[in-house]
Amino acid sequence: MEVDEMVSKAKSGDKEALVKLIMLRQKEYYKLAYIYMKNKEDSLDALEDMIVILYENIRKLKKEEAFYSWSKTILVNCCKKLLKEKRKVVLIDKLDERLYEPVVNKQEDQIVLEDKLSKLSPKHQEVIRMRYYLDLDYESISNLLKIPIGTVKSRISIGINKLRESLGGDKYEGY
Amino acid sequence: MKDIDKILMKSKKTLDDIEVPNELEDRLLKALEDKESNCSKSTTWNKKIIAACLIVFIISFNFNTLAYYSKKLLGYDQIMDSTLKNLNELGNGQIIGESYTFSNGVVFTLDGIMIDENQLLAFYTVSDPSGELESYSLNPRMEFKGFFKRYHMSNGHGEIDEVNNETKWIMSFDTPAFYERTLELEVYFSVNGSMYEEGNISFKLDRNKAMKSSLKQTINKTFESDGVKVRFNSILASPTTTVIEGSIQNIVELAIEQISGERIRPNDLDIELIVNGKELEKQTGSMKTDLKGITFSSSYDALPNDIESLQIRLQSLSIDKDVNSTLELSKDYEANIAGQTIKINEVYESDGSTYVTFTTDDSVVLTRVFLMIDGEKVSLKETLYAQQEKYMDGSITRKRTMHFPKVGDELELLIETMTYSQRYNEVIDIPIK
Repeated sequence: MEVDEMVSKAKSGDKEALVKLIMLRQKEYYKLAYIYMKNKEDSLDALEDMIVILYENIRKLKKEEAFYSWSKTILVNCCKKLLKEKRKVVLIDKLDERLYEPVVNKQEDQIVLEDKLSKLSPKHQEVIRMRYYLDLDYESISNLLKIPIGTVKSRISIGINKLRESLGGDKYEGY
Repeated sequence: MKDIDKILMKSKKTLDDIEVPNELEDRLLKALEDKESNCSKSTTWNKKIIAACLIVFIISFNFNTLAYYSKKLLGYDQIMDSTLKNLNELGNGQIIGESYTFSNGVVFTLDGIMIDENQLLAFYTVSDPSGELESYSLNPRMEFKGFFKRYHMSNGHGEIDEVNNETKWIMSFDTPAFYERTLELEVYFSVNGSMYEEGNISFKLDRNKAMKSSLKQTINKTFESDGVKVRFNSILASPTTTVIEGSIQNIVELAIEQISGERIRPNDLDIELIVNGKELEKQTGSMKTDLKGITFSSSYDALPNDIESLQIRLQSLSIDKDVNSTLELSKDYEANIAGQTIKINEVYESDGSTYVTFTTDDSVVLTRVFLMIDGEKVSLKETLYAQQEKYMDGSITRKRTMHFPKVGDELELLIETMTYSQRYNEVIDIPIK
């Protein structure tokens, strides 16, 4: 069955068609939820919230072909809403002036990076995760988050610079 | 410096390996089980009225702006939060409008400033008329120079306008001392990759524009958990922001620790500011170690006008501690280090390397870890596949595998330093006059 056809069916209230649409691209949806929620249970919760909103609002979707980008934006919003309910947002913007010890290769790199990443503001985190973990291009991220491409680029660049600083980098080398 | 791209690629691979849970389809169907789709049809005349109201609103709003444009900073609507927008509406900023042009044609304009007891906010525009530079590189380094003192930049945010190749920023600086009359802004911009060029803008401070603080109190309360002391010194609420300051241990204690070899390095302090029972949005947090010991400062949105109650809640402190512990490496062995459980899940050899899979609480990171193989200290090569698991009680654990590039018979895990989170859950009531 064609995607457009399934979307029309879902619009007429066919629940199974709607779920099938998501299942066709289940990995994309699950990964998108996972970069926000970071664990299986919360990711599934976000996907559940999304499907209910999709079902209640799919009639308002004018163009069938926009289903995937529309529903992913809704998923992102569901994730943000859940996160807001669950935890507090902690922003660390000032440069941490602690002495960084040269522990290259001895630290648990990936985990340290994830820790530092999760301390950036949510705006910066989401674009970095989308760009690097989901391999989305600037345009897709801009569509998904409904922000201008320039903003996507600046957030990624600022975010990466901040990560570099927090990992003890030398941003102003030469100055 | 670490190669961030490389680590990010590794994390991407971890995510790619994640399997979509089998129950996804069932959960989605179940979520829809007793939902009725709503067929409400919106009437078009309704929308037309709303549109008409909006247009009237937009027009009247703009008239308002035009009438007062000379006193307010224009063009910063997108990056000002509601607190700053209100202050700007009331004309609390000092308009400056001075520019400096660098040799490569980049123009820096200091549009205005806002001052209160906590910070100086600079509003500035950087544009590149030639369009040669990527707009996100229009990000100079700055400092204000006063009579004796220099005021450093701490944090800020901005927006890029790609069409006009310019960026607008709001940057926070230390607040100038009361005796300052004239300030000079020094702007350093990299003109050809590595060379920095200096630009200057001098202006007179308009003290009438400096805003008064609404609340200023000393707190002087100390909390201790597992030997780590967190002390709150003061809270200062100014019109642009609210700042809580304090320290973690004092310098004498720091010296003793250094000698005893059990140093503690704090990473992250989780403090909430609660106004009328609701959490106020956190803006920034910082920690530094100097001669005074370890001090912290946490800033939040400005306080609302109608305060009935004000509380500070100390949630947790994440620290990096010298633990110097040796772990036995047998399957399902559970060790307790500094109150944290480390569970060894599996130890195996493959291709001349030893792999150790273990599980800890989400907040635990082994920051310096070695594998003692037949008495030889082997460094960690990499950590693979970190996976989080959430339990019914809300706790989250992280399971991962460490890769040590050597094999042998006698294995012991040596953990020299470890990061973990300590819970406090203490609440301080701040009296309001």
